[in-house]
Amino acid sequence: MDIQTIIPSVDPISLPAPYWLFKLLLIVTFVLHIIAMNIVFGGSIIAYVAKLKGKTNDNFKKLYSDLAKKLPTFLAATITLGVAPLLFLQVIYGQYFYTSSAIIGWPWFLVIILLIIAYYGFYIIAFKGSENNKYLGWILLLSSFCIVLIGFIYSNNLTLMSTPQFWSQKYFRDPTGMNLNLNEYTLIPRYLHFVTAAIAVGGLFVAILGVFKWGTEKDYAKFLINFGGKWFTYATMLQFVVGILYLIILPKEQMMTFMGENIFATVSFLVALTAALGSIFIIFSSTKNEDPRKGIYIGTSLLVLVLVFMSIMRDSLRDSYLSEYFNPDLFLTATQWDVLGIFLFLFLGGIALWIFMLKVYFRKPNFN
Amino acid sequence: MNYPVWDVSFGSGLLIAIISVVHVFVSHFAVGGGLFLVLTERKAYKENNSQLVGWLKTHSKFFVLLTVVFGAITGVGIWFTIALVNPSATSALIHAFVWGWAIEWVFFFLEITAALLYLYGWKRLDKQTHIWIGWIYFLTAFLSMVVINGIITFMLTSGNWVESKNFWDGFFNPTYWPSLFIRFAFSLSLAGLYALITISRIKDSVFKSFVAKWSLKWVLPSFILLPIFAYWYVANIPVELFQSTNGLMATATQYATLISIFALITFLLALVYYFFTSKINLLFSLLILITAFVTMWSFEFIRESIRKPYVIANYMYGNSIYTESSDFDQGFSIEKINENGILNTAKWTSIKKIKKENSIQAGEEIFRVECLSCHTYDAYRGVRNRLIDRGWDKNITSQMISRIEHMQKGIMPPFAGFESERESLSDYLHNNISQSELSAFKSGKGLFDKYCQVCHQYSSDDPVFFVLTGADREEVEYYLTDLQGMNDLMPNLVPNSKEIEIMMDWFPKQFINQN
Repeated sequence: MDIQTIIPSVDPISLPAPYWLFKLLLIVTFVLHIIAMNIVFGGSIIAYVAKLKGKTNDNFKKLYSDLAKKLPTFLAATITLGVAPLLFLQVIYGQYFYTSSAIIGWPWFLVIILLIIAYYGFYIIAFKGSENNKYLGWILLLSSFCIVLIGFIYSNNLTLMSTPQFWSQKYFRDPTGMNLNLNEYTLIPRYLHFVTAAIAVGGLFVAILGVFKWGTEKDYAKFLINFGGKWFTYATMLQFVVGILYLIILPKEQMMTFMGENIFATVSFLVALTAALGSIFIIFSSTKNEDPRKGIYIGTSLLVLVLVFMSIMRDSLRDSYLSEYFNPDLFLTATQWDVLGIFLFLFLGGIALWIFMLKVYFRKPNFN
Repeated sequence: MNYPVWDVSFGSGLLIAIISVVHVFVSHFAVGGGLFLVLTERKAYKENNSQLVGWLKTHSKFFVLLTVVFGAITGVGIWFTIALVNPSATSALIHAFVWGWAIEWVFFFLEITAALLYLYGWKRLDKQTHIWIGWIYFLTAFLSMVVINGIITFMLTSGNWVESKNFWDGFFNPTYWPSLFIRFAFSLSLAGLYALITISRIKDSVFKSFVAKWSLKWVLPSFILLPIFAYWYVANIPVELFQSTNGLMATATQYATLISIFALITFLLALVYYFFTSKINLLFSLLILITAFVTMWSFEFIRESIRKPYVIANYMYGNSIYTESSDFDQGFSIEKINENGILNTAKWTSIKKIKKENSIQAGEEIFRVECLSCHTYDAYRGVRNRLIDRGWDKNITSQMISRIEHMQKGIMPPFAGFESERESLSDYLHNNISQSELSAFKSGKGLFDKYCQVCHQYSSDDPVFFVLTGADREEVEYYLTDLQGMNDLMPNLVPNSKEIEIMMDWFPKQFINQN
């Protein structure tokens, strides 16, 4: 079957804003989503490790309960921040995304069920975390497992979305949606690339918790910074192996995107690589300092930079995969200035209100 | 047409229905319940009632755990599901209303944040700030309903949008306001009804009565207002769509009956509970929640059923074929598919040309792209049983499909494609039905049900009886042997001579005293 004829046509309704605006919003909101996702993913794994070690060590016991209390909130953030990139993705890549989703219909639908299980599991842990109940460890493990699985299903869908040449054989073999994208050889390296990043960010999150506790519980804070810093450093070092493996396993054309073919993607790659190296170095050395806080701040800023540029690379990779089929010039555009204006106004106002609410919440309790 | 059809064995429509109904029953609580929380908290402070504050803490935990987790995720779940089941329609809704969705997302984000701060804030915020966070929660939750309501009502009454493609024409469509009032009133009553669950666990009976009376005051007025809003809503739905609830379409009619009965039962139960507040236990509170659930479920089902044959009124049919041909239809309009054939047009069919040996397989693919969005072969809205019950053989089936758009006053889209493709579809549908399984009818009424009832009603005002009641036998025979000669909208059905004989006796005698 001819691939071009099977790829769905672009929706005939015009884009209600220029293409670049959707692309920008897609990448910006994706970065926010991925940060929250990494904290939940990595955080839940570290929480489980802390739970095991907490039987004999009070610091780990405390870390477990601190993480457990925060996991549901960060999962809420992951979901709410995930809605936006999913929306903007559907605006400009709908013809690929809807197709790959339908081909893996049941696993994709399963995401919703897994999410509900994981979410309630995290809430049980958060509310009963300090209790001595042997089932809590299993519940945490189940929730983490659901998150790990959701990530895997996402990797399946997003790789399949970029490779239309494999669609028809999968669909016609099984139109009931019982498919995955397991025969895609970049799937596992790509997934591991995300998992490793999530563990690193989870570690960094623990270190950041330490920074916040510095003023009140110095010893515990030092423990957090050391322990979290180690997770971050080792995971990020491992990431250099996993990431490079993923890069060289990519089809040559896609690999070359980051090797000079696409200047923008290549520069992003170099910046991300340098920033990642810098963050490892700074965070690792700061854990040895008397006051590591400054190092953690700088390292975290560098890591945010890494995530931004990695997200840009991820987007360039998709466009490279789809270059044969996808031409953004084909979009008709009829900008809805009025509604767009209302959105931007509410978006900025919403951010201000959100920051204000958190500020009010985190100021010192003051009962009247 | 444009996308692969996800073949859900038990019916993709059922999957959407289940997830949507459980979602709306929680998401409406999330709106009304928000107002309930802040007003109850204000009342508690005003009356200096620490017991009430204590109960609110428990209730708000229940509220957040239900709405933020189950409510929010099933909401995302609806989006996942509609995108899987009807990508073309989802894409149309996304493209027409991107900024509406984006605005809703802003409210959603604030809503979730405020809900969590409200729950955790009992411990760290002062009273004034806590109530403030509660207000932000309620307002953002309400505003997300204000936005999503525009998109849902647009699907039923697309208004001038089809011509103008203007955001506001679609958004503020004819059923926008009445629907918003119905949903908001219902959400207020749900606030009171869900409260009964946590109330049922209160030990102190005086306090229990006090909170229960306060909560039921949220239910009773809403249920008095709801019929008024419902009347207003119905008045704005095109008459031909709403006719479906009046006997022409089984689903819609059933739910129109259910909604009246269950709304009344819920109201009466609430009234009884109001006078026996101390007796309310978990079982009683679940009972009234179930009756309210059936009410809400019926409302959503009526809305979904009367929208048929469309997924977006006057723009796209349920099977994602465009209703009108245009420069932008990409070939996916009825007119163009009739010119080019369905197998050539639909991107996700493996057979492009019908041969004798692949006819059944081609028919299955046609069934998938044209019918599967609403039907299954032998499960939810299964076609197989309907053919057997009606006693339609392959030939009748094919003829009926040729005029399917007139069935039950037009609740189905027309068949799009070549005659040979229609024949293939009938081949597939009858591949697993043996002649002996088909119901046999020997009475006049039975044959009326077999041949006429999908379009005509057994009623003296129906055109059939207007013409045939009291007619001569020969006249009946004349009409029945050349249906299309009488009216081209009719299928070319050819009953056998025995059947004609029975009907010649039967038709003239019906409603003879009335006409």
